[in-house]
Amino acid sequence: MASNKKYWKSVEELKETSPIVDTLKHNEFVDEIPTDEFLADKETLETSSTTRRDFLKYVGFTTAAASLAACEGPVVKTIPYVIKPDDIIPGVADYYATTMVDGFDFANILVKVREGRPIKIEPNKEANGSTNARVQASVLSLYDSLRLKAPKANGSEISWEEADKQIVAKLNELKEANSPIVVLTNTCASPSTKKLINKLGDTYGNVQHVIYDAVSESAALDAFETMYGTRALPDYNLEKAAVIVSIGADFLADWQGGGFDVGYAKGRIPKNGKMSHHIQFESNMTLTGANADKRVMMKPSAQISTLLKIYQAIVKGESTELPEAVKNAVNQLKKAGSKAVVLTGIQDKNAQLLALAINKALNSEVIDVNAMRNIRHGNDAKVSQLIADMNAGKIGAIIINNANPVYTLPNAKEFVEGLSKVKLSVAFTMQDNETANAVQFALATPHYLESWGDAVIKKGHYSLIQPTIQPLFKTRQFQDALLVWTGSNTSYYDFIKESWKSNVLDGNKSWNQALHDGIYVKETTGTVEAVDVDTDAAAKALSEVKGSDFELTLYTKVSLGDGQMANNPWLQEMPDPITRASWDNYITMSKADAEKLGVVNIHVANGALNGSYVEVTVNGVKEVLPVIIQPGQAKGSLGLALGYGRKQGLKEEMQTGKNAYQFYKNFQNNQFDVTVKLVSGEHEFACVQLQNTLMGRGDIVKETTLDTFNNTALDPKETWNKVAVVSLDHKEVEATKVDLWDSFDRSIGHHFNLSIDLNACTGCGACVIACHAENNVPVVGKREIRVSRDMHWLRIDRYYSHEEDFAGDVELKENSSGVIGYKETMSSLEDPSENPSVVFQPVMCQHCNHAPCETVCPVAATSHGRQGQNHMAYNRCVGTRYCANNCPYKVRRFNWFNYPENDEFDYYMNDDLGKMVLNPDVTIRSRGVMEKCSLCMQMTQATILKAKKEGRPVNTDEFEVACSNACSTGAMVFGDVNNENDTVTELVKDKRAYHLLEHVGTKPNVVYQVKVRNIQEA
Amino acid sequence: MSSHYEAPIRRPLIIGDKSYHDITVDVAAPVEGKANKLWWTAFTIALLAFLWGLGAIIYTIGTGIGVWGLNKTVGWAWDITNFVWWVGIGHAGTLISAVLLLFRQKWRMGINRSAEAMTIFSVVQAGLFPVIHMGRVWNAHFVLPLPNQFGTLWTNFNSPLLWDVFAISTYLSVSLVFWWTGLLPDFAMLRDRAIKPFQKKIYSLLSFGWTGRAKDWQRFEEVSLVLAGLATPLVLSVHTIVSFDFATSVIPGWHTTIFPPYFVAGAVFSGFAMVNTLLIIMRKVSNLEAYITEQHIELMNIVIMITGSIVGCAYITELFIAWYSGVEYEQYAFLNRATGPYWWAYLLMMSCNVFSPQFMWSKKLRTSITFSFIISIVVNIGMWFERFVIIVTSLHRDYLPSSWTMFSPTFVDIGIYVGTIGFFFVLFLLYARTFPVIAQAEVKSILKSSGEKFKQLRDGNHE
Repeated sequence: MASNKKYWKSVEELKETSPIVDTLKHNEFVDEIPTDEFLADKETLETSSTTRRDFLKYVGFTTAAASLAACEGPVVKTIPYVIKPDDIIPGVADYYATTMVDGFDFANILVKVREGRPIKIEPNKEANGSTNARVQASVLSLYDSLRLKAPKANGSEISWEEADKQIVAKLNELKEANSPIVVLTNTCASPSTKKLINKLGDTYGNVQHVIYDAVSESAALDAFETMYGTRALPDYNLEKAAVIVSIGADFLADWQGGGFDVGYAKGRIPKNGKMSHHIQFESNMTLTGANADKRVMMKPSAQISTLLKIYQAIVKGESTELPEAVKNAVNQLKKAGSKAVVLTGIQDKNAQLLALAINKALNSEVIDVNAMRNIRHGNDAKVSQLIADMNAGKIGAIIINNANPVYTLPNAKEFVEGLSKVKLSVAFTMQDNETANAVQFALATPHYLESWGDAVIKKGHYSLIQPTIQPLFKTRQFQDALLVWTGSNTSYYDFIKESWKSNVLDGNKSWNQALHDGIYVKETTGTVEAVDVDTDAAAKALSEVKGSDFELTLYTKVSLGDGQMANNPWLQEMPDPITRASWDNYITMSKADAEKLGVVNIHVANGALNGSYVEVTVNGVKEVLPVIIQPGQAKGSLGLALGYGRKQGLKEEMQTGKNAYQFYKNFQNNQFDVTVKLVSGEHEFACVQLQNTLMGRGDIVKETTLDTFNNTALDPKETWNKVAVVSLDHKEVEATKVDLWDSFDRSIGHHFNLSIDLNACTGCGACVIACHAENNVPVVGKREIRVSRDMHWLRIDRYYSHEEDFAGDVELKENSSGVIGYKETMSSLEDPSENPSVVFQPVMCQHCNHAPCETVCPVAATSHGRQGQNHMAYNRCVGTRYCANNCPYKVRRFNWFNYPENDEFDYYMNDDLGKMVLNPDVTIRSRGVMEKCSLCMQMTQATILKAKKEGRPVNTDEFEVACSNACSTGAMVFGDVNNENDTVTELVKDKRAYHLLEHVGTKPNVVYQVKVRNIQEA
Repeated sequence: MSSHYEAPIRRPLIIGDKSYHDITVDVAAPVEGKANKLWWTAFTIALLAFLWGLGAIIYTIGTGIGVWGLNKTVGWAWDITNFVWWVGIGHAGTLISAVLLLFRQKWRMGINRSAEAMTIFSVVQAGLFPVIHMGRVWNAHFVLPLPNQFGTLWTNFNSPLLWDVFAISTYLSVSLVFWWTGLLPDFAMLRDRAIKPFQKKIYSLLSFGWTGRAKDWQRFEEVSLVLAGLATPLVLSVHTIVSFDFATSVIPGWHTTIFPPYFVAGAVFSGFAMVNTLLIIMRKVSNLEAYITEQHIELMNIVIMITGSIVGCAYITELFIAWYSGVEYEQYAFLNRATGPYWWAYLLMMSCNVFSPQFMWSKKLRTSITFSFIISIVVNIGMWFERFVIIVTSLHRDYLPSSWTMFSPTFVDIGIYVGTIGFFFVLFLLYARTFPVIAQAEVKSILKSSGEKFKQLRDGNHE
């Protein structure tokens, strides 16, 4: 459209008849340009110093210069705030206290928010919160590009208003027909939600609430309810325990909702010559078993009989002939008395009853029946009843919240059939998963970081959930929907606030303060009393359980858990702490069984692990699964992780493994009707650790026993914490004291050290994910992991012993004689024992003060900082990989490809949504660059700057790094050794302290604490 | 007749009844004549291999080092193996032309031109690898101590990799100058014989205006001697520095003080083998049997035998020291090298490098052209595996067993290696068709013409 606007060109135009304006109308210039005159003046032209050639040169140059200036890199625009929000300062992180609740994990957390984006989860230490790997990784699920972004009705998008209208109409219809409405949720532990479900009942009449946990603890709940009258789980304070006997309870992982590692680790650090003694009876090699002092492998059926024997010995006082291991356990329990505890993971009400009875008989202080935990509430019987009712056509409507029964139910088919007979089926879900595609209405819910909510994780511990970001998509919370459907106008936020003010806070704390703290702890009164239960009948019923040739134990991995977060690449890539395999689930099998069946694990030319396939039949359900031969797996037992094999709502790369829920019949983790047979084919595993044993290298992981440790007559440096010596001028000198270089004065400023206590480290891997999140560590996928190209800056090495324990390995090696003998010993040491001793060792860059990597870099891209860190200047790195070759710890990671914004690596760094999780303080590395742990330099610098701004010295123990922050067991302690009050200063001087490979002379700034094992034979 | 006592003279280095003109004609023949089918076939194969390698290099640079078989534990494998292998091969040329010149070994004259050409071409191949093995080739200039505006940003002179940069570039430039100096009179000869104006123009450019005055010759001799003096320490220093890449590290199996002499011996060993490989073919194809005689081959074989034995001693010393040191990591590194998953590579190395040259003790075998050719190939295979064994078997199982893994090459690794062989032969074949492959000016100085002629006249062997 042509514009009629007139523009002023000069003031002259004000005059009505200005000659200049007139002239300009016709000519470009007021005065004529004397071109002709100029060209005609041949003389001047010829005398001019500018020749035609010069002129062309100038033209050429200007053209070239102009076109060069026009070339520039693609511009990515950042958009500044038009009006800056008051509470957001670019570059400064805000922390919000909230609670992670997804039905499987519950944690009081702090959320780090940068420029309005939540980017990291940290434990809320003021609320005694602790985080595991999944909680740490949950922030990435917020930015999952495959989230359900809007409500759907029968597969097509619908507006919320329309959905509400249709659903409410249906609900009213059902109300008139008095047809039952079922609300199926997982454990939400939320009093407000419960209230709202009740309100739904008030509005629509016949409403039932069924709680369904994909991985059930129903047996433990039933047992506790029977004995103590409340449907909840007791708390165990393992710090108080002197003796822990666990029968198939993986309590350092997800047993009864997890979180026991904190107390456990405290009891495992030798204090005043004491530490707890831990006996584990189990079939799979679990994280817990790997940490035990005494691990007895047995099939699930044998575990049951062991529990019975302990029950008879402790509760009944019978003294029958017992197997050695059980006798030892019983004696230990008796000796420790009230300081002992028995835990069991057998999903059988009777077994759980017996465990409670034993603890009662022991008068155990460890178990706290009054501090009840609400993090598992599922009721198997009700779920089974629901499915039966649905199929019988008795159910009018089903409203599912945050559960994926179509994937997690062993009898999912029946459930789907049942759904078709229900008049109204609604699923509130964050993911476009199996259930979302099976129901009529799939309603998109926000992530917990976008939601309001509350939870009572433990009795009296009221936690709040607050959003840390505006909802990214057209989502609405389940609770908000319930409010709308019950005709209420209030928002869920107002609803919680109101109900907290009137019911929870009691005026002791303001709402704002509670929200700030994330938790409100209410004094609880009232104790529960045990009622008399006929435990003998339970024992009798239990003794009738029949074992079989093969028994399968289903478990959850510390990475993927129940499988909700299967689309989370951090968790997929996190190596299993035991097998060190990622991106897979598999059958674990003992070596003896593998040999019998002809199952093999082999390494191909590039070292990668391949395994045979077996066909496993459980109660008639068949599945072909790959096998990893697992040291410590009880003969006749098999292990398989739940949570894998999901297909819907997942990127193709994340559709890993096979669904083990199909075997989870009757919600039993132990399945007895199992047959296995070898089938053809080889599976390609992605395993990050290919050598499983320590090869008798006792100086890598130093170990001792409690007795030796307590023996004050021994000099640690001479005995159990030997320092390597070298010959200097024909004298034996401690290797750590020999120096080629003049060292600079390190007493000025900060000098960072990180201490890792091998006694407290359980190998859980929370630090691995925390490091991922903090440092923008790329995910490389199964193919790359398989060829040993994992990018983890921090890894947790797991070693098995070849002999019964690691000391045996060293002894075997030292006793070998001759070249042939040595060769044979070394090749035999490559194989782990049948039931090995296990040790975990987190390894990251050791920040050597004499770093081998620094001397070899031709461009000085890696050099030492004054604060002790070994720096990497990514911009300077040309990628010769010499540093990585020369690193004795092999902690340097090379960018083999361009990992961000590469379709070949379609994980979170390849889409705009996923990239929102990136930490703006840490550079994204390009391909061809070496990277490694920086000791979270961005964090230490931020701490220093904060102190500087506030005009104070850095406080004691103020320095933190991502891994030490995430470590709930306190195994990792970071600090400044130039500050004598810092905890780490004490630790580096501890008699347990040693450096990894100190004989190489690298003088690392990471220090390990010798592992002390409490080997006791009663 | 019998009154004249004739001393038992050395065997003639040029056989056949050659006159000065014959030499000129023989040397100029491949340049002036037309290439035969064999040459074209060989050239096509070499060119294809080169192009394949070029494609593999472009693919690597475009996609990332990840297309190779390396991993977090084994950060170098075929790349640096090839680098050291090619550098090693490059050692023979300078040794022959410089060291033997100083020692007045006249037999070098028949072979030094091609040996030096081989040196330069193989150093070109070698130089490729440190460049393309970088993750960010486009920043390769960072390794040069260039003045910059970043304050104290400078290269790290502690790094052996930087020493490599200097060692290789010095070696390449000195070798090139030395070679070219020798070429001047020969280029002038080709220039003078050239008929086509284009050829004449090119050769006159290449011969830097050589006129053949006495002054030219005098300077020529002086420069040759000076350059020989300069190049001789380089023969020792280059591979010493290359060995520092490993010797100065902390990795068991690399951290070894024996490396410098061991590497130099190995380099001469493989270089002579490669010279044998090339010359045995060339003397046949270019009809140069009169100049590169059985005697040359035999002398080369003796050097191969000696250096092979030195290398063998080094291998055994390494094993001994590992045992004697009492250091467990050292002991395991060598145990693993010999009996671990790469035992076959170690066995190949041992049999090719230590055992196969021992056949040369037999006069019959070392004067057999076919056998020499076979052994020369075997030695080069062995020496490639030596470097592979040192690099990969030391890295793949070092200190922490948790990081142990294996290495297996991808098609790109293989492609680049084959590509450099192709590139090498492309250069060598072009050289054989355009350069005077025998230092004819020098060779003419050892032609016993007058004496021989007189004898013929005296004995009445008229033609």
